[in-house]
Amino acid sequence: MWARIVKWYRTWEQEQLAVMRNPGLAKQAPAGYRRYVACKLAALSANERDELYRFSTTTRGSQLWLALLKLCVILSAVGLLVKLAFLPDMHWWRAVVVANVIGVALAASLLGVWFNYRKIAHAKGRALVKMVGLGVIGGVYGGIVATLVKGEPLQAVLETLPRTIAIVTIAATVLVAAPLILVATLRNRHYQALATQLQRDAEQARLARELSETQLRLLRAQIEPHFLFNTLGAVQQLAEDKAPRAAELTAHLIDFLRASMSDMRCEQVSLATEFGLVESYLAVMQIRMGERLRVRIDLPPALAATPIPSMLVLTLAENAIKHGIEPSLRGGEITVTAHADADHIRIAVHDSGVGMSDTPGSGTGLENVRHRLRLAYGDDAILALSEAEPGLLAEILIPRKEAQ
Amino acid sequence: MTVTLLVAEDEPLMRARLTDMLARAWPEAQVVAAVDNGLDAWDAYLEHAPRVVFLDIRMPGLTGLEVAERIGRQAHVVFVTAYDQYAVDAFDAGAVDYLLKPIQPGRLDKALARLREKLDARPDDLRETIRQVKAASPAPARDKLKWLKASVGKQIRLIDVNDVLFFQADSKYTRVVLDGSEALVRIPLKDLLGGLDADKFWQIHRGTVVKVTAIRAAERVDAERMQVLLRGSSEVLPVSRSFTHLFRE
Repeated sequence: MWARIVKWYRTWEQEQLAVMRNPGLAKQAPAGYRRYVACKLAALSANERDELYRFSTTTRGSQLWLALLKLCVILSAVGLLVKLAFLPDMHWWRAVVVANVIGVALAASLLGVWFNYRKIAHAKGRALVKMVGLGVIGGVYGGIVATLVKGEPLQAVLETLPRTIAIVTIAATVLVAAPLILVATLRNRHYQALATQLQRDAEQARLARELSETQLRLLRAQIEPHFLFNTLGAVQQLAEDKAPRAAELTAHLIDFLRASMSDMRCEQVSLATEFGLVESYLAVMQIRMGERLRVRIDLPPALAATPIPSMLVLTLAENAIKHGIEPSLRGGEITVTAHADADHIRIAVHDSGVGMSDTPGSGTGLENVRHRLRLAYGDDAILALSEAEPGLLAEILIPRKEAQ
Repeated sequence: MTVTLLVAEDEPLMRARLTDMLARAWPEAQVVAAVDNGLDAWDAYLEHAPRVVFLDIRMPGLTGLEVAERIGRQAHVVFVTAYDQYAVDAFDAGAVDYLLKPIQPGRLDKALARLREKLDARPDDLRETIRQVKAASPAPARDKLKWLKASVGKQIRLIDVNDVLFFQADSKYTRVVLDGSEALVRIPLKDLLGGLDADKFWQIHRGTVVKVTAIRAAERVDAERMQVLLRGSSEVLPVSRSFTHLFRE
């Protein structure tokens, strides 16, 4: 018999521990009380389950019984003290039993609240009504039994009823419900602060990761082998012809490489730096493409120091070449400008090439630009593309306050 | 006999470089045309019928791959690219000739030696390799033409491309022939080609593109020449030698 009880207890304990680790197992528990308890466990938050698991695995077996024994000894002592101090008429063993029953019940509820604070903290009113209601029912029941035992008429119960209810309500509220709800609320507040902190940490880690990913993407995207090899080929041809433009093209290429390598490591650069990078890139392309490409760049001196996420304007200029001018039979003109109004700074890259319909695969570069704008300005910055008859107009709009 | 060459490369300096290097490395060959886009490359091919064409892969108008597709097995093709890793792998796998930019003299000599060896053989079939490369790279999905604007007197007429029986080059214009009427469009035929669906419209001559469903029959004129008879028009269109393969069984 004893062995069977122990076996039953062990199985159930293992089952509950398993559910705490993996709530999905709850559905596999045998139907009935075990399934009911397992489902309740599974309904706890991950954090609650974790704490409960840790508690259950450290406090089990002989340790659990020892703790319980200690609790009973303390409770018995308290009961005796209360009897000696306030209730001299009570039998001492009765005082001990009552103190133990009340104490263990309180400790059990405290444990429940400790690990399931969320539910109680979210429905304080209901918890209060439940606890006080149960207390009142118990009190009334006790009153009736006492009356019957003493052989008094039931009438007497009715007379003392209001008093019983008042006492039990006050006692249950002050001694049981209030401390339990207070514990639940404090625990819940602590847990929520922890959860918020964790969420904030995760968000920050995600942003940091995105930033470094963006930088990696930039790194990969910038020194495009096509660009490098074609430019070197052009330099070689000019050099062989002994054309003075060989030195010029090399100088522009060096400017471009140096600027893009240092800019790639900065999240933000000044508009003057960014426009300088774009200028050397377009100068290289102009020499390579000859009369197929014309370039105009205009940056008002007042905006030169404005900070902007690095490489954004360059990406737009590269797109204009790759998807606007290069596919166009007649080539075209690229215009890069910036101007400010009261609230915004508008940077525009216009190409008179083939326009929107003929620009496949331009997605990744632009997606990158949008992403960087979002990282830097949230929802306050815009990248807008529009047909420009002829060609395509790409505009970046950033808030002025943020930018200065 | 001089070997005729065609060079198509959109950047002027790279075009000059390839032409110069070819002149030096292959004196008995002659570059008959050097063009800067795919449409001109195809047109120059039809005009000069060169034996070897050097095609940059990235070009406006038509890509080098598209031009090679049109040329088929009628000329030796050498692709030129700066960096298209997938294409290069496919070319290696299919033993297709290619040059990497910037072109280095040693590599060019090797490629030319290989080319000279097979010059008299029938050019390789590149279709499978081209298909692979096109499938792997985001090819410019050029919008197909839907409407043509033609001026008829003072009016601008809108013509549905699918109503056209055939297009005929007329110097800078294109003559557009429909069932029962015709019009002139201010775009040269070679520039229209890129916008026409090559499966629906067949080029049968340097100056003629005909809708496949409008062809009633093709007939042999003599050992070399063919002509096409149409539905909806009594005109008879000559098929030039480069295109007779379209009608061979």
